[in-house]
Amino acid sequence: MAALIVDGRRVPDGWTWLREPVEDPTALPAGDRIVPLASWLAHGERLRALRGRTGVWLAVDEEPEALAGALGGLALVALHFPAAADGRPLSSAVLLRTRLGWTGELRALGDVRRDQLVYLHRCGFDSYLLPPDEDPRGALDTLSVLHAGPGRHYQPDVRSREAALATRSRQAV
Amino acid sequence: MYQYAAFDQQVVEDRVAQFRDQTARHLAGELDAEAFKHLRLRNGLYLQRLAPMLRVAIPYGTLSARQLRLLAHVARHYDKGYGHFSTRQNLQFNWPRLEEVPDILAELATVQMHAIQTSGNCIRNVTADQFSGAARDERVDARPWCELLRQWSTAHPEFDWLPRKFKIAVNGAEEDRVAARFHDIGLDARRDASGEVVFDVFVGGGLGRTPQIGSRVRAGLPWTDLITYLTAILRVYNRYGRRDNKYKARIKILLRALGAEGFARRVEDEWAQLAGGPETLSREDVDRIAERFLLPAFEALEDDPAPLRAALAEDPAFARWHRNAVRPHRMPGYASVVLPLKYTGVAPGDCTDEQMDAVADWAERWGHGEIRVAHEQNLILPHVRQDALPALWRAAREERLAEPTVGTVADLICCPGGDFCSLANAKSIPVAEAIQRRFADLDRLEDLGELHLNISGCMNACGHHHVGHVGILGVDKKGEEFYQISIGGDATADAALGTILGPSVARAEVPDVLEDLLELYRARRAPGERFIDCVRRIGVEPFREHLHGRTDR
Repeated sequence: MAALIVDGRRVPDGWTWLREPVEDPTALPAGDRIVPLASWLAHGERLRALRGRTGVWLAVDEEPEALAGALGGLALVALHFPAAADGRPLSSAVLLRTRLGWTGELRALGDVRRDQLVYLHRCGFDSYLLPPDEDPRGALDTLSVLHAGPGRHYQPDVRSREAALATRSRQAV
Repeated sequence: MYQYAAFDQQVVEDRVAQFRDQTARHLAGELDAEAFKHLRLRNGLYLQRLAPMLRVAIPYGTLSARQLRLLAHVARHYDKGYGHFSTRQNLQFNWPRLEEVPDILAELATVQMHAIQTSGNCIRNVTADQFSGAARDERVDARPWCELLRQWSTAHPEFDWLPRKFKIAVNGAEEDRVAARFHDIGLDARRDASGEVVFDVFVGGGLGRTPQIGSRVRAGLPWTDLITYLTAILRVYNRYGRRDNKYKARIKILLRALGAEGFARRVEDEWAQLAGGPETLSREDVDRIAERFLLPAFEALEDDPAPLRAALAEDPAFARWHRNAVRPHRMPGYASVVLPLKYTGVAPGDCTDEQMDAVADWAERWGHGEIRVAHEQNLILPHVRQDALPALWRAAREERLAEPTVGTVADLICCPGGDFCSLANAKSIPVAEAIQRRFADLDRLEDLGELHLNISGCMNACGHHHVGHVGILGVDKKGEEFYQISIGGDATADAALGTILGPSVARAEVPDVLEDLLELYRARRAPGERFIDCVRRIGVEPFREHLHGRTDR
């Protein structure tokens, strides 16, 4: 079963991930939903008026800049990894956090693997829907280390906007 | 030499622990081969035809005596007693056991070394001039900038999962010895009118199946903007580089698709958002790294001391070696010495554990403890007192590291080829050996002068055949190995790709063809004219006709 981890804790997944475009928002099932980018851009007003929360997900070749000015009313933004080694969503995440001003939940969907979490976390993700064959215990172990402190890295992550080398110098002895 | 801060050391040790855990999970069946592949590649480990291969990073080609001794120890203890220096200044071990790789990495960490990002689709080891800090024609010492880039690119959160591998080189001298125009990013460092360091930025150079000379996308980039500008380039590449076909995934293909101007415009648009931001470099950032370089305490000496003059007068063999393997140094009384790893019958770049130990000893005794690796697959002692040259020469002869063949046709670059590599179409090492045997006469080699001969066993071009003055490419013709000959390539600032001379030839014919080419060169050259300059002057056609005549004879 796919496990959802948010802020380092496993939580029940109450979201419906709609992979196909939404033609008629009023026909959606009750509850929280994650809709494709095009559906959000086309039906944002109607989706905002519905009960339940709305999130938007971007396919790997969709640009986060499309959400500029359209983030209001969203409960989460999700980015899809078609393969763990496809780094495009990492750039999208950084842009959402540092340029588009998204401060809400940022979820990784698709081929999300334990050994990738350190990169995802540092690019601003805080929510992960693991594929069914990924053991959530390993992922939780990895995340507990990441949440314990900033870790030792040369680059600033999106959470601390300090210069990379300044971070290094403080810790250099 | 850069000395790690405690933080640098911890980063490397964290990485060893992380990879130990990943290897253990893989061996326990918890991490499948495909998922593990991406992780092991980022730690330098290939699994190929005959055995695993571990590629150890030698950042910008700089080693201490202590580090080289540790590499000798690894070669002896974990391998078959030798290592292979590559064209990207790294060292490859061909026979490590997977289970032992975390132990090897832990040993490397004890001397401030690692194998991080020596393969995989990420930013690879940054290369620099092997004579950095020693060369007379140096404008800017590239090493602090390379170390800054090493740190910035290590486990970069956004840029470790690129469409394809990404190689950066930094040149700081008048003569480009790093092939800056044949890298994904080549940086040409110089000083502007006020004495500040600026960079000319070349993007999209490369060899492989689609050889391309890099385009200058920015001239005179201020050093303060180096990281933000590189971030802009990498971000454009990470977002828009092709991922559907590994042979079309390098940044050169994106640059070609957008056009150099279109590409530069995208980079500038992205950079406009980053310029002046938190990753803008301050003087303090750069000084902090530069201060960690321990520089040799040079003495005030005179050039051409008496012991050197005496040895040159008395011993013609020493004099020949001195003409060939010794390079001028920016400090009077010092020299840089090239130790060629091209002994006939040994794969170019191979070095035994005993040779490594010996070179480490010489570096400590005569060379301020420093060693460099050149992309021509040779070792270098960058800072040797000129009065120690005779003693160094005698010692190097004992270890077969004093062949006076540097820069000649016998000093060839060669990939591992079909003997070791699963990608190769043809063997390359036996071709190299046949050429070295044919051109063994030292008078003849000296007469033929500077000539860069590069051999690749397949079109992936690890032997850089496109930029050899003479290039040899192994091709497969209905299961038989043939070799395509090109001339006129040049990896320096006069960047050029070689021109293919005609139909490919059988392996046994390669030395004959080369002899014919050089015969024509000797007949047509102006006094003192190098082979490459002669080709430029008279063109490729006379050489083509000459070879054509050969098949008619």
